[in-house]
Amino acid sequence: MRRLYSSLVDGRGFDLCLIGIPLAFLIVLSGVPLIYNVVMSFQAVDMFSLGSFIRPWVGFENYRQLIAQPEFWPIMGHTATFLAASIAGQFLLGFALALFFWTNFPGASWLRGLFLVSWVMPGLVVGAVWNWLLSGDFGVFNFVLRELHIISDNVFWRSDPAFALWSVIIANIWLGASFNMILLSVGLSSIPDDLYEAAELDGAGALTRFWTITLPMMRSTIGALISLGLIFTLQQFDLFAAITAGGPNNSSNVAQYWAWDLSFKQYDFANGAAISVIMIVVVMLASVYYVRSTRHEVRG
Amino acid sequence: MSETFRNRLLLVIALLLAAIYLFPLYWMYITALKTGSEMFATPPSFWPDDPQWSIFPFVFQLKGMGRFLWNSVVIASGSVALIAVLGTGAAYVLARYRNAWVDVGLFLVLMLQVLPASLMITPIFVLFTLTGILDFPRTAVILAIAAKSMPFFIVLVRATFMSVPMELEEAALVDGNSRIGAFWSIVLPLARNGILVSAILIFMQAFGEFVYSKSLIQEIELQPSSVGLNAFMGPNTNEWNRIMAFASIYVTPILATFVLLQRRIVSGLTSGALK
Repeated sequence: MRRLYSSLVDGRGFDLCLIGIPLAFLIVLSGVPLIYNVVMSFQAVDMFSLGSFIRPWVGFENYRQLIAQPEFWPIMGHTATFLAASIAGQFLLGFALALFFWTNFPGASWLRGLFLVSWVMPGLVVGAVWNWLLSGDFGVFNFVLRELHIISDNVFWRSDPAFALWSVIIANIWLGASFNMILLSVGLSSIPDDLYEAAELDGAGALTRFWTITLPMMRSTIGALISLGLIFTLQQFDLFAAITAGGPNNSSNVAQYWAWDLSFKQYDFANGAAISVIMIVVVMLASVYYVRSTRHEVRG
Repeated sequence: MSETFRNRLLLVIALLLAAIYLFPLYWMYITALKTGSEMFATPPSFWPDDPQWSIFPFVFQLKGMGRFLWNSVVIASGSVALIAVLGTGAAYVLARYRNAWVDVGLFLVLMLQVLPASLMITPIFVLFTLTGILDFPRTAVILAIAAKSMPFFIVLVRATFMSVPMELEEAALVDGNSRIGAFWSIVLPLARNGILVSAILIFMQAFGEFVYSKSLIQEIELQPSSVGLNAFMGPNTNEWNRIMAFASIYVTPILATFVLLQRRIVSGLTSGALK
């Protein structure tokens, strides 16, 4: 007993206790649901069997049903569009802003930080504000586009099936670009100045320096950021709930919203679990890449 | 072109960029202050003719925002308390040692960080129903948020612990401190700022959390502001000034905290997320 106590206060037990309790907590509340999700995707789950552990085993029936649904492939297509457009938009806008603020003038770092409010705001509030900005008849976004002569008639962003997904993408790009910018700024500031000085002496122009120094030096940052973008974009749910709710007629529905919709709107927990399993596998693959690209760290 | 002129020019451009980027926020506050007819004017007015300041107390009363905000605070505080108590220790151990077991732990933590809430909610809901945790909906949400956000907290705080020199702790041990004593009186105070900033960041996230609250809390008396705002926005609403007033009241405390602590939050975030 004494030895156990002294180990807890002053030895291995102290470390094991500090790491063991949180890990147990995470395993119970994240690991167990993760595995249970896989189990559930092979069971028949309805409102009656929801409260019991033992349910009929159906094998791959849920997955077959899910893929046979007419909206499965369109929703997968929307998910791919949403991912590609959001990540590209966030990254390019973030990179442009980071390059501008890199010129380093008084006040640059404070102003740069201010952009991050778009990222710390509750997703529901971002969604509500963009829902109103993108309103068809009275939205100020349409007004600005009209004044710039980009469009001649109002675009009904949220209710036109051709644009509904893009209304969420626009909001998501706004939300995430600042985060990209901050992380890219860190990467940019870690490039040694003498590389640029040497290149300038050799007569390299601004564009050449960008292609031959900036981009190659930023490779690991960009790789980590893109996989982080994939992870964050697949987590985006609030904007769908606040702007289009997946509609009209599933034209802006994506996998992560569909999973919730199946379980909590249609009470089809089995299919909800099946689509969750599919998407979690995708996220896991992305995160393996992310974890690998952030491994090169030095103890400071 | 002189140095000062260049700096001024860049500052003006930067201010302009910030103004464009933050326009949605400006529009939220301005819309809240507009009258019903001014809101739908074409062309839209960019400054309210007759600011309706009374809309804030009115919406606060009408929607019972006191209760919504209180629930948000309860959920966010509970999550942060749980995350900070459990996560700080884990971060410390993961920062102090470098071996295969730590690598496995770190990998596990990073993998758990990426699971989307909207995908995890299905099994969590069913498991919470089976175990009866769902009878205490706010506790259920706190547990779910803690499991979701703790890995992120661990990653951020671990970076802080890495910058605390290990020699200081060793010196304290040589002086006769126990491990727990050295941790409590040397390491923790040195890492205090980093822990605090990470906790604030987690608090802001939990304050705006939506998926778990929406799915696990049925009783309207226990729902947080995010669910309240979602319910306020019907599919064909035209009460935009009131919705924007609701959003303004909800988000202003977060914005104020962020602007005050901006430097610390940004540096805390960048040291942990990418390195």
